[in-house]
Amino acid sequence: MEVPNVAEKWMGCVRKVTIGATKEQGGTRGNIVTVGGAKSIPYMDFEGEQGCKPVIAMDVLDTVPEDWPDALKEPFKDVLNSPAKWAKKCVEQYGADMVCLKLDSIHPDKGNKSAEEAVATVKSILQAVSVPLIIWGCEHNETDNAVMPKVSQAAKGERCLLAGASQDNYKIIAAVCLADGHCLVTQAPVDINIGKQVNILVSDLGFPLDRIIMFQTTGALGYGMEYVYSIQERERIAALSGDNLLGMPVICNVGYESWRAKEAKASDAEAPQWGSCVERGPMWETITAATLLQSGVDIIRMYHPKAVAAVKKFTQDLA
Amino acid sequence: MARKNVVKVHFLPNDVTVELESGRTVFEAAHKARIYICSVCGGEGTCGKCKVVLKKGQIDSKPTSLLGHDEIEKNYILACQARVLGNVQIFIPEETRLERSKILVGEESPEMGLLAHTKTDSRHFLIEPLVRKVFLELESPTMDDNVADHERLYNAINKKTNTASDRMQTGYRILKQLPTVLREGDWKVTVTLAYRGSTTEVVEIQQGDTSRNNFGVAIDVGTTTVVAHLVDLATCRTLDSEATYNSQIEFGEDYIQRIIYGEQNNAFGEIHNTIINDINNLISTLVKRNFINLHDITAVVCAGNTAMMHFLLELEPTRIRREPYIPSANFIPPIRASEIGIKINPRGLLYTLPSVGAYVGADITAGATAIRLDQADALSLFIDIGTNGEVVLGNKEWMVCCSASAGPSFEGSGVHNGMRAAKGAIEKINITRDFHVEYKTIGNVPPRGICGSGLLDCIASLLRSGVINKSGNFNTGLRTDRLRKTEDGYEFVLVNRVGAGIDDDIIITQADITHLIRSKAAIYAAISTLLDAMNMSVDTIEHVYLAGGFGNYLDVRSAITIGMLPDMPTSRVKFVGNTCVAGAKLSLLSKEAFLTAQQIASKMTYFDLMGNTKFMEKFMSANFLPHTNLDEFPSVYEELAAHSSL
Repeated sequence: MEVPNVAEKWMGCVRKVTIGATKEQGGTRGNIVTVGGAKSIPYMDFEGEQGCKPVIAMDVLDTVPEDWPDALKEPFKDVLNSPAKWAKKCVEQYGADMVCLKLDSIHPDKGNKSAEEAVATVKSILQAVSVPLIIWGCEHNETDNAVMPKVSQAAKGERCLLAGASQDNYKIIAAVCLADGHCLVTQAPVDINIGKQVNILVSDLGFPLDRIIMFQTTGALGYGMEYVYSIQERERIAALSGDNLLGMPVICNVGYESWRAKEAKASDAEAPQWGSCVERGPMWETITAATLLQSGVDIIRMYHPKAVAAVKKFTQDLA
Repeated sequence: MARKNVVKVHFLPNDVTVELESGRTVFEAAHKARIYICSVCGGEGTCGKCKVVLKKGQIDSKPTSLLGHDEIEKNYILACQARVLGNVQIFIPEETRLERSKILVGEESPEMGLLAHTKTDSRHFLIEPLVRKVFLELESPTMDDNVADHERLYNAINKKTNTASDRMQTGYRILKQLPTVLREGDWKVTVTLAYRGSTTEVVEIQQGDTSRNNFGVAIDVGTTTVVAHLVDLATCRTLDSEATYNSQIEFGEDYIQRIIYGEQNNAFGEIHNTIINDINNLISTLVKRNFINLHDITAVVCAGNTAMMHFLLELEPTRIRREPYIPSANFIPPIRASEIGIKINPRGLLYTLPSVGAYVGADITAGATAIRLDQADALSLFIDIGTNGEVVLGNKEWMVCCSASAGPSFEGSGVHNGMRAAKGAIEKINITRDFHVEYKTIGNVPPRGICGSGLLDCIASLLRSGVINKSGNFNTGLRTDRLRKTEDGYEFVLVNRVGAGIDDDIIITQADITHLIRSKAAIYAAISTLLDAMNMSVDTIEHVYLAGGFGNYLDVRSAITIGMLPDMPTSRVKFVGNTCVAGAKLSLLSKEAFLTAQQIASKMTYFDLMGNTKFMEKFMSANFLPHTNLDEFPSVYEELAAHSSL
């Protein structure tokens, strides 16, 4: 008896989005990254093309992260006070596909640094590394609306990925990304409807759909990961079923969320029964990333080089 | 010496003074004075609708955020929070007055009125009022024709109306007076015959021909508004109509609150008396205005939601709100109206239309009867929008219904300048691309607020003109001073106070828009959940009947543009007004209609949305204008694209 073919036939696909621009394209990047393109759900390659392999963006902060546990500071201890050197180390030593600059210090409660300082940081990183750059605002609407336009202008032509547009605050960021040729992160609070609605709102402003990356707020292992998983999975299934406005690549914020978990950051003295924190933190981050990858993720923001290495190997082995 | 001080409260402009104990609230004083003051929360101090002005005297009041600085300067207070300490004078401003006589009577569309007419096609009901007066000329008895008086009467009735003798009953009181009436009337008498299920009751016997003097009243017992139509049962004409606010509002804005109040205060008797009082006032007004003898009103037909029917009949309502949601009765037999205190002919009857269940009431069976869903070949959708949005899908073969909590915002409640469809309510509004506002009010008087149809139009035109985006948020930075920021967020001025009928600007706030979007989302989600459950698509629906107390007018296109109704040609949608009173009136005039309502109630399947995850999902994705899935609204997509390119 013949075994019936139960493979799903998908109608839709995830759009391809290219981040970074080479000299010929008007930027200065040595290499560019293209994500998306999936025509089936992740790792079901008998159903359709998998599209581009997921990439890893390592986070670089524009200020010394005082609250990081020692196990996380250790790999970066010589570069924490220089975002440019930090970025360089991520790319050259730890193999990051992209760098994600998190502009924490512009937040009024976390340093209130000026737009000029943010611009200088962005320029220094663009000079230090040749991979594409993600620039993440401080998620304080008024500050982001004041700073991001200047940052965007400074990186004009580089086709960076800027974050982000939310339901309540999308106009300014979408307008500057459109003007300066960047890609845009549209974000939602683990809500598939709002995720789609933000895409509709920015496309109503004339923003092209092939320059959008979607972000559903991430939850780490033990902290709502299943919820995020199911929302991202629904997004991917909707995209493959032909929903044009959900057919964008997805980014998730694994590093920051994993290292907020007490299981990741507690020291050995605080939790002797949990094993060595040197292993524990990276493991927490690795498992979160590896799990969410299966829901359909294209860019993973990560922290720890050990976790980065493990996830890289994981994606290569599975592909 | 423990007696509390008695103080006087003098109300303006009514010029009414009441006395009560000091420490009581102005709201309680107004209630005692029978002056009705707007209130949504029923005196909890949370709605801010009961604003009055303290003219003289002293009160004690807690600080509240519901009054603005300018209002406090003008001595505005919240009536429910103000305790009277000495003699005071209170002015009730126009926006706080509930004007009893000015509510719009929910008129059914003209077509509805024609349904009970000569039976020319299947959409018409056969005329046969539930209570009829029949003039009889009996043969006087002789030695050869020695049939007894009572049997002689039955034979005559049988001959005239084809009612079998064993299907008739006569009360003892009638039987006792029968021989005298027959002889004093020289064997020419009028009998009043009432439908009582499988039997016909001889309710009354009068000398001579009084068959022309037979009247009935059809009543929509609504949670907020009670509407009564006076009908001439001999000619089938509607003579007059009258409406009033349901005074039960003092026990809570919605019926769940009223049930809780009744339970906690053992006050179901009081709640019952309140509605009976409203009904008697309505009937008495109608009777006086039309020079009719109260004795000639022989029948009353009532319809309303299940809880209202329980309050009306003083049936135990508490289980309606508790799992597994069991009403005391869905089908209520005809009873004497006087038994529950309704003042008409003391032997006149009260008929109540049947409910389907705890959350689908007689208002819905009345509506389905009025639109003749039982005769519909094509798939039809009936939507009745009130505090609960009820949706019925079906045709003559089957009917499913569900009820979704839409909230009272389309009735004007919980909306800053919302009001019920009454004189001065904006019922139609348009906002141009350059933010010019055009509107029309009921009665063509300066606007006092916005009613449901105006609110529908308002959201649609704010969206079309680009004042709000598809999330319903204001587009800040518009070149107009109509959009302004206050402590509570953004608001858009629809009518400047100079042109308004109240001493304030008429505005729509961000919170209002959010409420209205949630209401419309609940209605759309109910419709689409029901369609999905039946595995049917919007295209298969041939007729949509939209009912509710919106006013006289409703722009169907606006309802589609904001995504309350599915995207479909507007020609398929008919606004049918108050179908509850229409159904009650049809039943009054036609036994066939009354029986049809019974059949509809037993045929209808209730589909529960509470705890239905699909409904929740659909509700969430409908919280957008028109909808998160634009594919479901292709024509709106085009409409908005065309507007934005202007």
